[in-house]
Amino acid sequence: MVRIGKIVITVMLILALCMVPMGCGGESDVSDVHSFTLGSSVAFDTLNLLSSYMQVTYEFFLLVYDPLVRYDKNYDPIPCLAKDWEISDDELTWTFHLQEGVKWHDGEAFTSEDVKYTYELMMDTGLGYMYELYLSGITDIQCPDDNTVVITTDAPKANMLMNTTPILPKHILRAIAEEELETWQNENPVGTGPYKFDSQGDNFVKVVKNESYFGTMPNVDEFIFVDYENLDALAQALMLGEIDGATNMNPAQIKQLQADENIDVISGEELGFMQVGINCWTDSASKGNPLLLDKNIRHAIELAMNKQKIVDMAYDGQGAIGTTLLNPGDFFHYEPTAEELRSYDPEAANALLDASGYLDKNGDGVRETADGTPLEFDLITIADNVEEVKSGQMIVSDCAKAGIKLNNVTMDSGALYDKIIEGSYDMFIWGWGSDVDPTAILDILTTNQIGGNNEPFFSNARYDQLHTEQQNEMDESKRLEMVQEMQRIVYDEAPYIILIYSNNIQAIRSDRWTGYKQIPETGTYFFNLTNINYMNIKAVE
Amino acid sequence: MHKGTIAKKLFYAFVTIMIVLVFNYILFRVLPGDPLAMMMRNPKATPEMIEGIKHFYGLDQPWHIQFFTYFKNMFAGDFGTSFVFKAPVIQVVAGRILPTVLLVGLAEIIAILVGIVIGVLAAWKRGTRLDVGTLGFSLITYSVPTFWLGMIMIVIFCVGLHLFPTSGMFTPGKSFISTGAMLHDLVKHMVLPVLTMSLVLIGEYALTMRNTLIDVLSEDYITTARAKGFRERYVLTKHALPNAMLPMITIIAINFGFIVAGAIQVETIFSWPGLGRLMYEALSARDYPLLQGIFLLVTVCVIVANVLADITYAYIDPRVKN
Repeated sequence: MVRIGKIVITVMLILALCMVPMGCGGESDVSDVHSFTLGSSVAFDTLNLLSSYMQVTYEFFLLVYDPLVRYDKNYDPIPCLAKDWEISDDELTWTFHLQEGVKWHDGEAFTSEDVKYTYELMMDTGLGYMYELYLSGITDIQCPDDNTVVITTDAPKANMLMNTTPILPKHILRAIAEEELETWQNENPVGTGPYKFDSQGDNFVKVVKNESYFGTMPNVDEFIFVDYENLDALAQALMLGEIDGATNMNPAQIKQLQADENIDVISGEELGFMQVGINCWTDSASKGNPLLLDKNIRHAIELAMNKQKIVDMAYDGQGAIGTTLLNPGDFFHYEPTAEELRSYDPEAANALLDASGYLDKNGDGVRETADGTPLEFDLITIADNVEEVKSGQMIVSDCAKAGIKLNNVTMDSGALYDKIIEGSYDMFIWGWGSDVDPTAILDILTTNQIGGNNEPFFSNARYDQLHTEQQNEMDESKRLEMVQEMQRIVYDEAPYIILIYSNNIQAIRSDRWTGYKQIPETGTYFFNLTNINYMNIKAVE
Repeated sequence: MHKGTIAKKLFYAFVTIMIVLVFNYILFRVLPGDPLAMMMRNPKATPEMIEGIKHFYGLDQPWHIQFFTYFKNMFAGDFGTSFVFKAPVIQVVAGRILPTVLLVGLAEIIAILVGIVIGVLAAWKRGTRLDVGTLGFSLITYSVPTFWLGMIMIVIFCVGLHLFPTSGMFTPGKSFISTGAMLHDLVKHMVLPVLTMSLVLIGEYALTMRNTLIDVLSEDYITTARAKGFRERYVLTKHALPNAMLPMITIIAINFGFIVAGAIQVETIFSWPGLGRLMYEALSARDYPLLQGIFLLVTVCVIVANVLADITYAYIDPRVKN
């Protein structure tokens, strides 16, 4: 007893002693190194670009590797490893002239062979999950000399200059057996980019300035990406100055951060949307409610939904109400005409259902079909996504007013994915991240993707045809027309009801940093598919 | 204890581990959810890409083949490759053991010591203001939500007093000039998670200690001891405490077994790179190989701790020895 007491006192004393020096002399190591620490709630998966798929890792690749072309602040292509390029008259052959004297971080010379090797490796193995789709249509790659790459395609390739696939070092990768590439531990990533990999810990990755970079030099000496598991702790860390920037914050945190005069907080538009997916599978294997195959019911559900209220209540006003597959700020966005638009109108929803013959004959508040089947569906939301669960609850009460009964079911994302793949659901809420080039996000609703990304089992021959054609249309205005028609088809068929174009809430310590801006104009500071802010941000004098 | 008895106990422990392994294997696969969901829910993923990944991780094999491959490889020391981290499970798990043991282990030791002292004092001074006060303290810390307590800690010690950093184990990306500087940084980061964790644990120990000791103190042999004229303190330490410690040993052993399982909530609030957090990440990504690796480790530790508790019991309690 006495002995235990002594031990306790000793432990307490040790702890107390530990605390003393921390209070006063904690941060004594002031140096002139400009180091920017970016906190985020998304963690790194692997630094191997061939098998990585996390958003934050993509940021790392933007700094360490270079593509042939990068995006500028308006998402137009600008030279990077390729200083200029030309296209043949038949629009099938592209010649890229590469920068001279570019060195890999390990000192080896960069050549056209690296480009050929990277592209062919991804095309042959299917690896490079974030990039491989951009290489589709390429049939041949030639290297007439060290600084020229000639790429041939089977048909004109409209998104050739949207291809920002990072170029990997052939001299390092060719030493790795092909079957090991998926799990290759890229412990010391070597690129040509403006930053070099420095170190990685349990919850951070650090890069330092590449002093021999061939392009314009960045200002900041080092960037440290830190993973925060808890968003409140992330906000506190930013306010306390432990970190310099933060991304992927919660809408509810904006006000708290705005109150701090040292912090610039934005709610920037990000590419992508949240949608209500509806099971449109016509096959007899479908376990969805067949009533949802009636377009009028899908339309009525959208008319009954008060999307603005959902944005305001579930997302604290951070985001814009959704219509079509591409974001409003996107060059390719299609905005439904006043006649096409199905904005919140409960009366119209009721009128449409009345006209379609769904009436509430037994007076229980739920409409039925002629043979008495009630309009009752399950709406699945992902349990740990607060905003989606709230949205789901609001949709349930909105639809009840139109005589459609929805049952809100929550489950985790893995379980929902299973249901979607099997086609054993009625409706669900989930989201997609999108891209600069529309090909990838439009691809999810092609017939080819049924059993994969085509969640609603949507199939439309015209849509499929346009999807192929737009990839080969070099005339931008014609391509625009095709892409817009595709969005119009989906809006009319409504396999997806686009709920909201969500925002990414990000913040920077403005008392320490300057030179950054939203990319594009209403976009975000980071996670915007460019490294512009990483290159331009600088310390306040 | 008899050597044969110990051998028998170890054999049963091994059998238990095997059964748990099979159970875990089946459990994760019965859970709805496809491991490819998180990996490949990417608009740029083609069906061919998904097939390729399935094949790479052997997910295209029938379940019984996957099952036997898993056990065969496990006995060869290969616990598979994590779907998320693309690295061997052993490597991913090994990196998280030390942080977790450091955090939870230290918190447990503090909680046990403080909890026992509080419990003994409360039982001994039963009914006094000291008893009521410590009982209230224990009940509150026992029932307070860990998550909330962690946030309060951050608000008081980080935001209010600027004493400690909010999260992590070290200042990220910092290179240390000396081991001393590194340790200093570590301790600074450790104080709040350890404090939070121990506060949450103290209640359980204090309440158990108090209750068992009160039971023991009301037994006849204690009255006899007092009647013999022994001093109160002697009665307490030599007669009452040894008996009252028996249930404590059980709790301590079980809790020690779970040390490696980490503390999901504390590790999340303070972004502590431990096993609890890893388990949560692995579960939400349906990272089967990683989950199985972590569960195996936890299983082994819990069972070993129990065997040790059994053996310790035999030495403390003569009734068990016979």
